[in-house]
Amino acid sequence: MNDKNIMESHMGTTAIKISARDVQVYYGDNHAIKDVSIDIEDKTVTAFIGPSGCGKSTFLRCLNRMNDTIDICKVTGSIRIDDEDIYDRRVDPVQLRAKVGMVFQKPNPFPKSIYDNVAYGPRIHGLAQNKADLDEIVERALRRGAIWNEVKDRLQSPGTGLSGGQQQRLCIARAVATEPEVLLMDEPCSALDPIATAQVEELIDELRQSFSVVIVTHSMQQAARVSQKTAFFHLGNMVEYGETGQIFTTPQDPRTESYITGRIG
Amino acid sequence: MTDAIQKPEKKKSSLLQLDARTRTRNAAETRFKAYGMIAIAFGLLMLSILVFNIVTRGAGAYQQTFVALEVELLAGKLDKKGNRDLDDIKKVSTFGYTPLLSNALEAKVIELGIETDLKAKKMVGILSKSAAAQVRDYVLNNPNKIGETIGFEFLASSRVDGYLKGRVNRDSIGNDKNISPAQLDLVDALKAEGSLAKRFNMSFITGSDASDARPEAAGMGTSMIGSFFMMLVVLVLALPIGVAASIYLEEFAPKNWITDIIEVNISNLAAVPSIVFGILGLAVFINYMHLPNSAPLVGGLVLTLMTLPTIIISTRASLKAVPPSIRDAALGVGASKMQSVFHHVLPLAAPGILTGTIIGLAQALGETAPLLLIGMVGFIASNPPDSIATGLLSPNSAMPAQIYEWAKRADPAFYERAWGGIIILLVFLVTMNTIAVILRRRFERRW
Repeated sequence: MNDKNIMESHMGTTAIKISARDVQVYYGDNHAIKDVSIDIEDKTVTAFIGPSGCGKSTFLRCLNRMNDTIDICKVTGSIRIDDEDIYDRRVDPVQLRAKVGMVFQKPNPFPKSIYDNVAYGPRIHGLAQNKADLDEIVERALRRGAIWNEVKDRLQSPGTGLSGGQQQRLCIARAVATEPEVLLMDEPCSALDPIATAQVEELIDELRQSFSVVIVTHSMQQAARVSQKTAFFHLGNMVEYGETGQIFTTPQDPRTESYITGRIG
Repeated sequence: MTDAIQKPEKKKSSLLQLDARTRTRNAAETRFKAYGMIAIAFGLLMLSILVFNIVTRGAGAYQQTFVALEVELLAGKLDKKGNRDLDDIKKVSTFGYTPLLSNALEAKVIELGIETDLKAKKMVGILSKSAAAQVRDYVLNNPNKIGETIGFEFLASSRVDGYLKGRVNRDSIGNDKNISPAQLDLVDALKAEGSLAKRFNMSFITGSDASDARPEAAGMGTSMIGSFFMMLVVLVLALPIGVAASIYLEEFAPKNWITDIIEVNISNLAAVPSIVFGILGLAVFINYMHLPNSAPLVGGLVLTLMTLPTIIISTRASLKAVPPSIRDAALGVGASKMQSVFHHVLPLAAPGILTGTIIGLAQALGETAPLLLIGMVGFIASNPPDSIATGLLSPNSAMPAQIYEWAKRADPAFYERAWGGIIILLVFLVTMNTIAVILRRRFERRW
């Protein structure tokens, strides 16, 4: 583990984690994603912004093959994580999703205890040898989810009894418990109030230390606050991709400028 | 723009006064509520009439007239050789026991000082034809009691029972060969002395059906066991098959024209008249597979076919009701499809599945038509089955079939038992539905 960290730190922050080339997504006859090519860096927060229906969530769901669950969805092009094509016939999406965790728009804890919520992933992937191991994994995940202090005394109470913001942080803890390498977040704060949002945003910034985080957001302020890189999607095209500061101050494309200044969207 | 100026000015209205439109709307609403209340009141009225009818007519079946007699088990009649050999004792048929009964009754009449012109042979007519068999069963079980005088409680014949319940009176028995006014006089006298009385009749609930001549001895017990074994077959087959089919269709099957056709067919199957399943069962299970006639196993198989669509439809509905976010969450942490279904979706859908299953079972429990065709109606099972295998394979009846059978027999005493049987059936159905409601209330999860 240490060797790997050292190696990665030598490579700097520009190591490419995910590399997508000419990705096309069709929902039946609807061409939802057109020709998207993007390089997502490791240990970076990358934000996808754009108006509703522009395809940013669809593209995000391509990255862990959640789109496989939709019968009519068809993906072409290549998406490589660590230089391995995730749409290769030999890749089992179940194994991929252990590596690429996901947090959803609406907090969706299992209707089980807080402990079981977090322990479920490690259990099914056999990450713990015994109960003590599992306890440790759960605690670490909850700490990383910045929710440990709030729930440590009631790990056996149901996860659905938490407040919205706590539920979402629980879901983040659940996602990091399986030790993924990439964390995908689909509008993780859209159902939360500003205080909970601030907590989650802070958390995202911390998670950047260990993961490559890709976040879809409707809020441009949020993208500006949490991300280092931003991609702007419009009508299925990725219009512009660059440093977040640059996208928000000096956008190259007139469509990006219109969107961030509020003229389209 | 000038048009706007010429528009008639809107009349100023007061909130304190109802305008015509609001009045009509309110009137319509009141009318609608009234219709609803009338409909519900009508339904409740019908229900109470039904329940009142069933209870008043059926309650009689739970009371039966019994006659208390001391019978001397004459060794000379029952065991002529005197060696107490069971095989020899068995050779004496129930006819051999009848004189014992008439002796006992005559002794009773003399003891109580009742005056009657009846011969002892005629006196026995007030007892059920099952009385001799009752004594014989006792003797065969206790051969050492031969020679002693034992107190018995015999069922009175159905006419006597009807007389006590008001179903039979002296005017109505004019042409009845089974009972005479002199016998009724005897009954009155015995009743006055306390030797003959009406009391709760457990054997109606636990006993077996009886032949046409002895309605007083008929009970629901054996057909209840038949129904129980059928329900067992239905539960063991329909629940796993139905749930597996629904999970596959709902979670795994691709959505294409084949699954569409299957779906339409399942919905249609739920509407197929049950007698169609009956004739299918007759053709396939009995004529082709040569399973035994009238067996609860066959009845259970037929009812399984009938219950499957109900279970599949309710299971699919409860699977559909589990929010997709739970599936996403499971897949998102790297669970396989099957893990997500079995670890998360199925437990959440379980209360709905159970409710559907219980309601399906309740439906199957009350089903009569398919049983007509596989011979479970009209069969008189005189002994309860002694093992699970015979319970499944030996001929038996089922509760609704038993009720139907009693209802079509001529003797009004059977008619009373049909109503009594309906009470038992209703108690079962109401209990099952209540369990379903409780399960749904207790385990239903809201998101």
